[in-house]
Amino acid sequence: MAQETKVRESTGTDANGHTAVGQRVTRLDGAAKVTGKTVYADDMKMPGMLHTSVLYAPHAHARIKSLDTAKARAVPGVHAVITAADLPDYNRKDSNRTGLIFPDKEVLFFGQPVAAVLSEDPHVAAEAVELIEAEFEPLPAVLDAVAAMEKDSPLVRDPLHDVDRSEERGHVSVETKETEQEGEPSNIASSAPFERGDVAAGFAEADIVIERTWRSAMVHQSYIEPHATIADYDISGELSVWTSTQAPFYIRDELAQAFGIPENRIRITATEVGGGFGGKIYLTELMVAALAIAVKRPVKYIMSRKDDMLAATPAPFAHIELKTGMKRDGTLTALQARLIYDSGAFPGAPMLPGCMLIGGYYRCDNIDIKGYEVLTNKVSVGALRAPGAHNATFAIESHMDIMAKELGLDPLEMRLKNAVAEGDLMPNGQTYPAIGLRECLEAIADSDVWRRRREVEATPNRGIGLAVGGWLGGLQPASAIVCLNPDGTLNVTVGSADITGTNTSFQQITAEVLNVPLDMVNVETGDTKTAPYAGMSAGSKTVYTVGRAVKAAAEDLKQQMFELAMKRLEVEPEDMEVANCQVQVKGAPDRAMTFKRFGKLSTNFGAPFPVIVGRGSIAARKTAPGFTAQAADVEVDPDTGDVTLHGYAIAQDAGFAINPLSVEGQMQGGASQGIGIALWEEMRYDEDGRLLNPNLLDYRLPTSRDLPPIETIIVEVPSEEGPFGARIVGEPSIVAGPAAIGNAIDSAVGARQHEVPITPERLLRSMGKL
Amino acid sequence: MPRQLISLTINGREREVAVEPHWTLLETVREALDLTGSKEGCGTGDCGACTMSVDGRIVTSCLMLAPQVNGRQVTTIEGLQSNGSLDPVQQAFIDTGGLQCGYCIPGMIVAARNLIDDNPSPTLDQIREGLAGNLCRCTGYTKIYEAVELAAERIRGGA
Ligand code: FES
Ligand code: FES
Repeated sequence: MAQETKVRESTGTDANGHTAVGQRVTRLDGAAKVTGKTVYADDMKMPGMLHTSVLYAPHAHARIKSLDTAKARAVPGVHAVITAADLPDYNRKDSNRTGLIFPDKEVLFFGQPVAAVLSEDPHVAAEAVELIEAEFEPLPAVLDAVAAMEKDSPLVRDPLHDVDRSEERGHVSVETKETEQEGEPSNIASSAPFERGDVAAGFAEADIVIERTWRSAMVHQSYIEPHATIADYDISGELSVWTSTQAPFYIRDELAQAFGIPENRIRITATEVGGGFGGKIYLTELMVAALAIAVKRPVKYIMSRKDDMLAATPAPFAHIELKTGMKRDGTLTALQARLIYDSGAFPGAPMLPGCMLIGGYYRCDNIDIKGYEVLTNKVSVGALRAPGAHNATFAIESHMDIMAKELGLDPLEMRLKNAVAEGDLMPNGQTYPAIGLRECLEAIADSDVWRRRREVEATPNRGIGLAVGGWLGGLQPASAIVCLNPDGTLNVTVGSADITGTNTSFQQITAEVLNVPLDMVNVETGDTKTAPYAGMSAGSKTVYTVGRAVKAAAEDLKQQMFELAMKRLEVEPEDMEVANCQVQVKGAPDRAMTFKRFGKLSTNFGAPFPVIVGRGSIAARKTAPGFTAQAADVEVDPDTGDVTLHGYAIAQDAGFAINPLSVEGQMQGGASQGIGIALWEEMRYDEDGRLLNPNLLDYRLPTSRDLPPIETIIVEVPSEEGPFGARIVGEPSIVAGPAAIGNAIDSAVGARQHEVPITPERLLRSMGKL
Repeated sequence: MPRQLISLTINGREREVAVEPHWTLLETVREALDLTGSKEGCGTGDCGACTMSVDGRIVTSCLMLAPQVNGRQVTTIEGLQSNGSLDPVQQAFIDTGGLQCGYCIPGMIVAARNLIDDNPSPTLDQIREGLAGNLCRCTGYTKIYEAVELAAERIRGGA
């Protein structure tokens, strides 16, 4: 099979003497997952639990005239019907999607939750919800983000106030001068400029100037497990929530604020997450907690696939106007862009990272980038793996190809000539730390897919395309605890939800620091009452930040053992080392104390040592951006417009791959999502703003029939702060797909694609066949 | 609603269950038989997370009604282990890293086991075709293909 890792053979001890990190390690939770034992939220039952069915707004924009729940309440088995009027008090924030449970006056998008029915029987709840008599008065629906910016556009909603942007900050750290909605009422929720040099002079200097518009559809994260939440509130004032989330502590803090409950009386348990990709941060928890508070019984809400497609937080449509200038020798002289992200009915569109990336891959003295986050009467958007990045990258990476072609330059060489490296400027004026964009380009040049380019391109309707991608990454403090047990084994406790195998990486980090076999270390994600704080598992930062805390905790534990051993071993800590599950004197391994002995001496009745608990707590200050280069090998059927993918290669800088097996999994998974965005995925709305394809048949995800094995090349340019040099990994892989596929199609049939997904219809149109 | 008694063999054991006639097989197995390994990803036959084997053939159990399996043999993910050890297909998914969030995995493994039972030496194309009804959003399938190849090889070798 084409799959391979070229960088490092990872068995035994590597060149740096590592024995645990850098190895291909299978997941701690693998057996539970392959046997069906893993418990997801939908698998849980609580005594007295009620099921929820939600009434979703049938209009994109309408005034609520009346909600008559009498008939629904009368259905035998219905426990309660709850509308805005029946909710317990909460700190309502109308300008945030997650600050508003049910609206009382106006619905702002098709699918907005309006009321809920609770019953012990989910079928009864579903039947009764149909009997709620809701009367609406439709209002003008604003659906096109570009038209919504016009001065005379109807307004999507009342003006925004006090927008909470904390969730977005979890995914990426961007320092900039962003302007929130101000002055005349408008549908522009926020905007931001990024400027450097003089673009007019830059274009004057150029030998070619290309100006195009690029569009990318609204897409859904389409985790296979829809949103699932259970909440319970007991009379003493303790709130417990079990939910499929990437962000337990974030939810705790939000619910504490919403209900005025102290944070130490809220327990959020992040149940096993059946896929999140940025879409499972905080959504249904406020409503389910409010319902549980209202009825004083456990309440479970499992979104159906349709609910989830209608009313979760998909990724935005973007309209991007880009103008670039280049000299004959391939020097980029000017870049001007206007990026419009459709935020839906609430703010939250990832416009800032789009701006940072469109001008962030290549050195350019003159840039003028403006980003706009625009409201429409559509479902509000959220994060999807590197939020906002693929939209912007589709534009700039298609431009690079067009310019290379017009100037007769090699697309890879031309990118290498301009690619940013350490010390180069980002659009906001910050400089890049050590990064591996050029190294990724060099690595992809060596992939099987790129190397067969000449041969493939000699075949009619076949072509190879290249694109780069990247992600800056989020930053948040993190902490971890390592405890030594009486038998010498170790338990690590963290607060970060493990979705991608991060706990397995923490096992490796701990085993490496303490020089013990992997099976001496077990790792658990605690809930918000038992675990030390961790940021959300988003922004690709879990291993980068929590991993550092785990490393610090293991080092702290080691130091404690060294200090406790001083008397007995009669040497200073500097002269001790850990090996073979013991603390030993360097050069004299028989003068030693085993971990087991430490364990006993720190726990037995009357034992002399204090309990040995390592504590790691870190602030994360420096980002470690991750870059990728990808190549696609496609064949176009010129009669049907169908595209067949014959091969796909991804090179990505992981800094240091703590677990190459899971790093490859992240690269392949993200690449497949980028391919899906390129070719198939699109949420389609009718002229009234109703979603036309709320199911997995009409919203088409990549299948095994579509995807060949993905060739995977790990590049390692160490980061400054990450554990063992690791950098962010999860997100960059999704970013390059749309541009790589678009470029490959142009190479195959000479037809430039300006809009994704590249459906057969769009493709045939671009070939002049429709 | 009046319940109806059906009998089926689930993972080798005969069971009688009282079901409402509109219950799906998936619901019956998860709620009435308390086997929660099989997952619901869509409820409309499009994702494969609920895949089970009925009389040796793969079905999307969210589309089948409970009375339809009266008198038939049903195998779910819980029926794959034998004598306390993992099925070679389960082991291969662990070894190749063919799982991430795990939500698709029970259905995927049941489908993969069935594929190998029907064709002990599947080619890559046959694997890709055979699993096309099982969506995985996390892995991009590459390591799943490797898992099925490895499992088939081990089963042929008598594992
Ligand atoms: S749940 Fe049955 S096919 Fe998706
Ligand atoms: S492992 Fe997550 S959907 Fe397959």
